[in-house]
Amino acid sequence: MPLKTIKTDTAEALTLEWVLHVKNYKLDLDKNLCVGCQICALACPKEAIKIEKQQKKEGEKAKKAKVDVDLAKCNFCGICDVLCPFGAIKVTVNGEHLLSVVEKESFPQLVRDIQIDTSKCPIECVECEEACPLDLIKITRVSADGKVVENLEELTEEQKEGIQIKIDVEKERCPCCRICEFKCSEGVIHVRKFFHGKIAIHPEKCPEGCMDCLDVCPITGALYLSPEDNKVHVNEVYCMYCGACKVVCPEEEALELKRTKIIHTPVRSGAWNKALERLASTLEMSKELKAAGSRKLMDSVKKRLGWREK
Amino acid sequence: MEGEIDMGENKIKVEEPRIGVFICHCGLNIAGVIDIKELMEYAKTLPDVVFVKDNRYTCADPGQEEIRKAIREHKLNRVVVAACSPRMHEPTFRRTVSDVDLNPFLFEMANIREFSSWCHSSNPKEATEKAKDLIKMAVAKARLLQPLQTIEVPVTNKALVIGGGIAGMNAALDLAEMGFKVYLLEKSESIGGHMAQLDKTFPTLDCSICIEGPKMVDVGRHPNIEIISYADLLSVSGFIGNFKVKIRKNPRYVIAENCTGCGECRDVCPIEYPNEWDMNLGVRTAISVPFDQAVPLVYTINKDYCIECYKCVDACGARQAIDFEQQPEEIEIEVGTIIVATGYDIYLPYDMSIYGYGKYTNVITSLEFERLILAAGPTGGKVVRASDGKKPHTVAFIQCVGSRNKNKYPYCSNFCCMYTLKHVVQLKEKYKEDVEVYVFYMDIRSNFKGYEEFYDRARELGVNFIRGRVSRILEIPETKNLIIHAEDMTLGQPVEIEAEMVVLATAAIPKKGTEEIARILNLTRGADGFFMESHPKLKPIDAPTDGIFLAGACQGLKDIPYSVSQGSGAASRAATVLSKPKWKIEPIVSMVDPNRCRNVTTKCGICAERCPYGAIKIEEKTPAQVITAMCHGCGTCVAECPADAITQMHFTDAQIMAQIRAALEENPEDKILAFLCNWCSYAGADLAGTSRFEYPPTIRPIRVMCSGRVDRDFVLEAFRLGAGMVLIGACHLPYDCHYISGNWKMKARMDALAPMLHKLGLSPERFRVEYVSAAEGVKFAEIVREMTEQMHALGKEKIKAENAKLRPIIENMLKRKAMRQQQKA
Repeated sequence: MPLKTIKTDTAEALTLEWVLHVKNYKLDLDKNLCVGCQICALACPKEAIKIEKQQKKEGEKAKKAKVDVDLAKCNFCGICDVLCPFGAIKVTVNGEHLLSVVEKESFPQLVRDIQIDTSKCPIECVECEEACPLDLIKITRVSADGKVVENLEELTEEQKEGIQIKIDVEKERCPCCRICEFKCSEGVIHVRKFFHGKIAIHPEKCPEGCMDCLDVCPITGALYLSPEDNKVHVNEVYCMYCGACKVVCPEEEALELKRTKIIHTPVRSGAWNKALERLASTLEMSKELKAAGSRKLMDSVKKRLGWREK
Repeated sequence: MEGEIDMGENKIKVEEPRIGVFICHCGLNIAGVIDIKELMEYAKTLPDVVFVKDNRYTCADPGQEEIRKAIREHKLNRVVVAACSPRMHEPTFRRTVSDVDLNPFLFEMANIREFSSWCHSSNPKEATEKAKDLIKMAVAKARLLQPLQTIEVPVTNKALVIGGGIAGMNAALDLAEMGFKVYLLEKSESIGGHMAQLDKTFPTLDCSICIEGPKMVDVGRHPNIEIISYADLLSVSGFIGNFKVKIRKNPRYVIAENCTGCGECRDVCPIEYPNEWDMNLGVRTAISVPFDQAVPLVYTINKDYCIECYKCVDACGARQAIDFEQQPEEIEIEVGTIIVATGYDIYLPYDMSIYGYGKYTNVITSLEFERLILAAGPTGGKVVRASDGKKPHTVAFIQCVGSRNKNKYPYCSNFCCMYTLKHVVQLKEKYKEDVEVYVFYMDIRSNFKGYEEFYDRARELGVNFIRGRVSRILEIPETKNLIIHAEDMTLGQPVEIEAEMVVLATAAIPKKGTEEIARILNLTRGADGFFMESHPKLKPIDAPTDGIFLAGACQGLKDIPYSVSQGSGAASRAATVLSKPKWKIEPIVSMVDPNRCRNVTTKCGICAERCPYGAIKIEEKTPAQVITAMCHGCGTCVAECPADAITQMHFTDAQIMAQIRAALEENPEDKILAFLCNWCSYAGADLAGTSRFEYPPTIRPIRVMCSGRVDRDFVLEAFRLGAGMVLIGACHLPYDCHYISGNWKMKARMDALAPMLHKLGLSPERFRVEYVSAAEGVKFAEIVREMTEQMHALGKEKIKAENAKLRPIIENMLKRKAMRQQQKA
């Protein structure tokens, strides 16, 4: 069969496909999960992804930007999949979600460092589950005899004693915004952001009444409308620097966003360096390279002077 | 190039012409139509003719001996042979006369076979009259012929072979074995061509790469062969013995010298892309070789897909073969001959919807099937369907997809019958009773050694051969099986077969880029798009341009043994040039009369600007200078020169004017005077003759090397003398001209002349420019027929009246021009 290249674009999903006689490559973009941030477009090494700002209708909320992938440029490497903070893109080969760039260590994965110690959880508490803006947290209570407890109120106090709490996080879709951590009063959850950066809104530059950034922000609470000046302000504690706001901001200088550091699995890859340069800055990339260089230096020094430790 | 050529003494003391006319019977080819006796009597009456003789076959030894004898006995100093086309035997007779020390350029031919007996066979009387005119024209030119010294150019004894398929490889190997340095230029990453894509070869079923692989290695290792792969031909200048070739080496991003071909980079590369070598059935990594036996075994990075993770750089390590900064590199080489072996492509029938290719998953082409059944292919040699990955139990092969189709490719693609037979035998022998095989065919063409026996073998294996064209293929959506609708011609009824896989034997077509190569090398292509040979029978390997030879499928489709033989043939033809220290060039070049050149007094340079080869040098206040070795002898400059200061040797103004006058001496109003360029329209007219297309005997053709030579004065002179019609025949625009752009120069000239003549009262149809290729005998005959009808429709009286009105004006124009020139002198 000759090579078929297929692109289908529906309201729900964008799908790209290479169908070969013996192999099948597929890229699926779940439009419900996509927040219209700029990460994939910046990361794509083939510049195949374009972010299209959507027209805002009078009196309506701003719409999140639309992601489009160019079939002629896409090589199904899966870097967009690896870096999507919201797990909206999935690249599969023959139906399997095994990415060669990861397998062959030519691209790192984001480190979603989420530590949960449920031993401190109050039995009734559902704070984290309710706080998660993306509904990724699920709390389950398991009784001493191993049964999942559906209704807490039906249990006796005694039975309640033996309950074990389990917190499941849908990790690959988690943008690590830390809201759950802050909402938890017991310190059960510890989350490290994988994107570090800086965000600032200069309200004096914002157009009157504009809250486009707030409309598209996927993290509840990262941006808020201040009753004082009726302008949008940032709560940087929750912001995970995805940039969805920056994409829709109509005023060039009103919103400043930059990523300074990305927490990822260790890797030696030119493709990553370039992605980092585009996602953060040349400076950040060279910092990381320097750090890697000095680590290497330290390693080799250690190796050479290893005999001393004996 | 300057100064290397000795033109010798071109103007030897002119003696009183003594012309011998030899009239050939050509068996009955000429004598069967034309009254030879009458012709002989007529020839005797022509001025300066002192001897006339007829021969049964002038070109045979006794005939040639007659000529030599007559030259000696009758002190002939000019020879006219009235026989076949000069494109056929002019070289033969030139040798004959030079055997007895007559300068070969004192010889002229009258083409009374192709131009008379063969095309007017039902009208012997008129054919004889036309033959008389043709002889008269030849004698008129012969009287003015001058002896010329052949020019010698040095020969660079290196060759360029374009295309590293099986034909090109053989040509390169043979030349290298003869001791010549060969550059083998290959567009793709590896040599090997289509043969390296094949699983088995017919009719022996030996493994293709097992027999080709060692040959590829031999080519790669040969000290006399330099492979320039992954490179494009940019331009070629120069001429036989002295070609300058510009080549661009495309960046592989891998340094060839450092790459050991170990493949460690491939193993770490994370990116895959469809492998064109596998007909896109499978994939290769962004750094890879198209197939394991590639020669040269140098990896290539495809930057369209590479994400530049540099894992390959790490893997390559100390070898440091990878260089992402590599740039395209232009090189220039000098060679004496060029062999073109650019091969073919396989047609992908997306646009023939009845076959459902590209639409139905289980319809594939034969070349795709080849990659499926190949053990080293993407499926490891398993024939499986794309729809479900399962082995098909019924496979239908469909022949002549695109070929032998008047609306697509009218020609037979030569090898499809045989490779389909190979495929069915392979399938049957591999899966035995487990697979049912059907072949839909028009004719099975198995006409070479061992081929018919192979066909028998397929039949004995129980393959169902159904004679008939397929009308439609439809897919059953649930099973993805295919229903083939066809007509069984043997039974005379429609048939319907359900197959699990359909294999299309599609047409082979000229390689992509053939047009570009044709333009760069000045090659002509036939109606089918393949390169034209110089002569279909006698020069099947030579291209029309001297020093360029053709091998393999680029000249016409052929299978492996034939391509191999032609490769060797091309090598031996090239060696006839390379083995000589010097090559002789016809001295029909241009020369400038320094006393008449305007550039001495004014800034002119028209000739230099119009010369298609840049062979004329212009310096201020000095006469233009022709660089003889670069001059190809088209004569464009001669026609362009406003001062008539340039002469083309052997095609001088005086000689052509004499031909015009001879042609139009009697009844000019009934005649079409034609100027035909040697390579296309004259050859087209020859083809009309050899094909025995009849057309009215009204035309009187004059051969020029290129239509660019046709001076407007020739046209004016013809009308001044009362010609009924004038025709200029040229090679097709835009690229067919054998002198690059002579036809364009002629067109510009005549586009200016025609409206002027019309304004002066000439009926537009009386002056015509036509583009006739060497393959368009039909078109030529049609043009003559049409023009004759128009001429008769206009009527003799009208033509005479127009001419009477034109004559004084033309005479005035010519007179004024003569005066101007006298003043200058």
